[in-house]
Amino acid sequence: MNAPKHAFAAMYPELGTGPVSTESAVSKEFFELEREKIFRHQWFSLLKRDSDIPNPGDYFVREIEIVGVSVLVIRGDDNKIRAFHNSCTHRGNRLVHDDMGCTVGMQCDFHGWTFNRQGELAYVTDEEQFYDLDKSELGMPTIHLDIWRGFLFVNFDETPDQTLETAMGDFNQDLSPFAFDDLECIGRYRYEVDANWKTTMNAFQEGYHVALVHKRSAPDAFTGDDNPYCHLPKVKLQDNGNQSLAVPAAPEHKLSPTEELAFKFGSTFTQGVGNTEACPGTWQGEAENWGFDLNIIFPFSRINVGAGWCYVDAFWPVAQDQTVYELAYYFPKPVKPSQMISQEFSKVVLRDLSREDLATNEMTHAALMAGSINKIQLSDQEIAVRHLYKTVTARVAD
Amino acid sequence: MANRLPEEFSDLEGYADWAEPTEAARMARRIGATMAELTDYYSTVLPRMEAIAAYLDQWDLPDLPDTAKRLLYIGMMYMEVAVAVELFKDPDVPESSPVEKLTVLTEHGERALLG
Ligand code: FES
Ligand SMILES: [Fe+2]
Repeated sequence: MNAPKHAFAAMYPELGTGPVSTESAVSKEFFELEREKIFRHQWFSLLKRDSDIPNPGDYFVREIEIVGVSVLVIRGDDNKIRAFHNSCTHRGNRLVHDDMGCTVGMQCDFHGWTFNRQGELAYVTDEEQFYDLDKSELGMPTIHLDIWRGFLFVNFDETPDQTLETAMGDFNQDLSPFAFDDLECIGRYRYEVDANWKTTMNAFQEGYHVALVHKRSAPDAFTGDDNPYCHLPKVKLQDNGNQSLAVPAAPEHKLSPTEELAFKFGSTFTQGVGNTEACPGTWQGEAENWGFDLNIIFPFSRINVGAGWCYVDAFWPVAQDQTVYELAYYFPKPVKPSQMISQEFSKVVLRDLSREDLATNEMTHAALMAGSINKIQLSDQEIAVRHLYKTVTARVAD
Repeated sequence: MANRLPEEFSDLEGYADWAEPTEAARMARRIGATMAELTDYYSTVLPRMEAIAAYLDQWDLPDLPDTAKRLLYIGMMYMEVAVAVELFKDPDVPESSPVEKLTVLTEHGERALLG
């Protein structure tokens, strides 16, 4: 596939073609502005689906470092999923210490106040010693939670500027036909990265790096004679910051003996190639030699869809120079043991491949911090990187 | 010593210790092994993978007996090892973020089997 030269710049002339300043990645003040102007108002993808907590009492806890909040998400007896500050309304102690599980309620280990699965204050130890306590007013502090295509999102604004549906509204393609409900989480990973969140995420927003960075994990899956530099067949950039990038697959990809086994026992992450029926909710029908789609939800999370599988990830900003990269794979729920073995192949390859993606970030960040370079050069293939800087800078200036 | 794997797979008994029940443990064993050990495991288990799958598929996942579960972990360990042997030619991932920076979390399927 030979894309016409500079096709994407022609589609998005407002983004320009010049070098981009590194200021927004190296400045601590800029990071504080991002926190105030962007992070505090956004819908955060928790990288979890409603089906990850299927039964009343199922819960998980997540630290959202950027706003300093520990969030408890729990399914109530009424089957409704709610999000709370993971804090006791007596004097503020942390309520739940496990990452996930199933519980009949939350009892504080400081003085024993007890909350039910709906977050209501159910029991106060030695209650007579208090003065006029109104238990109905002292449920766990709530956080806005909403669900999009089965994925859980929270928002820390007192009143969110926009609904989740609006925030995702003109999100790339309409993902509603994608069969997310057939999938189950088969692997989840967290990386600590000593780099700015944008520098980290940039390594995941183009195909230009694939031939070098993934020469071992994917020597021929995404690059071939036809498309040696992994040119993206489709790019869609939105005013709200959302992005959609189709990643190509190479038709000449040769299966190793192990990938052949994985195919025989189930399916793999390269199975989009050569499929005659396009997977609904993806770009497969319109992009030649399609591999999968990256769907980037501004500012830093993604729902990436392949043929019958997906992975979700986020570049959680922690500090100006610190990021947590989290990713989770969702594959068809395995019934037979051989399917589980098959999925282990994709899981391990993609996990190791993500370690390759993170190889360059810290050194890049260090060089930017040192001022070794103060602007970056971006090709037409890296237009999504340009778009991210443009959107962030505009939102911060707002 | 009693067989830890199903009788039909007594030829793999020497690898019973490699039947690690979590991805984190399998990854650690792979990265801690030598290339010679990995290549041995690879060439011993590869020709047995189809038989392993056929044997295990007598059951659905939730019904697997314990010896069969160990065999499942041998099969999953094979995938971990094969990626090192076929792709990286190294127990670890060269030119990558150091493994100390990575936490492998346990997900549903794995938890369900652990019981
Ligand atoms: S802080 Fe929770 S009971 Fe006192
Ligand atoms: Fe990559």
